Amino acid sequence: MSRPSDDRLVAYLDGEITGAERREIEAWLESEPDARSRLAALAESAELLREAYADVLREAVPDRLIAAARGTTLGPQTGARRSAAWRVAARAGRSRWWVALPIAASLCGFVAGGGATYFGILHGLAPGLGAEAASGAGATTAQNLWLDNAAGDFKLFASTGDKALIDVPASGDSREALQKISQTLTQQVRLPDLRPWGLNFQGARLLVVDGKPAAQLTYTTDNKAIGPLALIIGSTQQPDIRPTFDHRQGVNMLYWRHQGRAYVLVGQADAGYLWGIGNDVAWQLDAI
Amino acid sequence: MSLLRRSETSPAVKAVDGDPAAARFSDQLIAALPRLRRFARGLTGSVVEADDLVQAACERALARRDQFQEGTRFDSWMFRIVQTIWIDQIRARAVRKEEAEAPEALLRTDEPVRRVEARLTLDEVRRAVERLPPDQRAALLLVTVEGLSYKEAAKVVQVPVGTIMSRLARARIALQLQLEAGGGLRRSRKNVEAQ
Repeated sequence: MSRPSDDRLVAYLDGEITGAERREIEAWLESEPDARSRLAALAESAELLREAYADVLREAVPDRLIAAARGTTLGPQTGARRSAAWRVAARAGRSRWWVALPIAASLCGFVAGGGATYFGILHGLAPGLGAEAASGAGATTAQNLWLDNAAGDFKLFASTGDKALIDVPASGDSREALQKISQTLTQQVRLPDLRPWGLNFQGARLLVVDGKPAAQLTYTTDNKAIGPLALIIGSTQQPDIRPTFDHRQGVNMLYWRHQGRAYVLVGQADAGYLWGIGNDVAWQLDAI
Repeated sequence: MSLLRRSETSPAVKAVDGDPAAARFSDQLIAALPRLRRFARGLTGSVVEADDLVQAACERALARRDQFQEGTRFDSWMFRIVQTIWIDQIRARAVRKEEAEAPEALLRTDEPVRRVEARLTLDEVRRAVERLPPDQRAALLLVTVEGLSYKEAAKVVQVPVGTIMSRLARARIALQLQLEAGGGLRRSRKNVEAQ
């Protein structure tokens, strides 16, 4: 075979050449070490190119773009703030290592194991996110109460600066913590991997959302612009709602419901990061 | 209070609020924003210009929502809008890009040498992309960064597949030569070996 054109060689590298022509090019490359080196360099430069723009996907998306996508114009309060997109398909090439674990039905074991305090504190509070879609002031009040409680609870966690408020610490193996927490819940719990955001899983706590047990997964990071952060996953029978940003008691939160699950992301990260991380969580947990 | 609820409402959003299909369309658009920003960043080489471009594309997409064909790739449709607006812009005005920051100015003394070299390499890659002719740049970003097939990229920029193929080959070779000349590939290999 004579030397293939640059067009064909690059197309070969991109997987656009198939069948007999591909085999011919491969046979030709076998006898042309210089051409193999050149193709290797081309592949390397392509990898560098992808790397050069990879960080854009992890940047907070400006509010103005979110607003533009909604067909809105930002008001003066939010003009300077930034927000990240609800990203679904932007995570090409990233591995998922979340752990999916089946759940036992009983609560008893965990309560005996140290979750009783939080049950005591939170049990009987508002039905939380589940009430949001219901009409009437009672539902709104209930939701406000729950979100306020989530904000307060997060502040308590953040202020301790250690693992004192973690019922099930992630001692080396996160799967162990998830297994323990899952044994207490009536739903499957997965652990989103937020390490690309610099967030390390620290452990889990039990809360009550909508009258049902929920998992609060806590993460910390050295990046003060992002963490610490808590993700609460509970059950709900209420209809889905889209991610909604809120700010209470000095902390930011993003909450949504999807197919019987209620999710709340609570942290000090600005809205942009919270949207981005929430999007990542939703993608990993199939929660959108 | 919701961030979005704090927003002022334009005539366009009234349709979104009252129309589930419009809301779904906006959801798709928001989901695509990170990749649109990445594509626009590669095209313009500027954070601000890229976001302006994406914002303009969002506005155009909402205005022409009825032109999107369900069942086709939404991201490709949006890439096409972004690319079209960008081409219109560079045709309408002579784009005078500021000189890229000199590599020396990017050095921070407290960074490990390997990290500095990695960052310089990626900066060099971006500068090399900015030096490519616009049509080659678009082809390169669509295929190599965004992962579109040649056929999909050809649809986005509305040229034959063969044209995409030749633009891409020229772009890839030019990029490689620039990186070889600037030492980017050498630094990249050194970093890999060091790891």
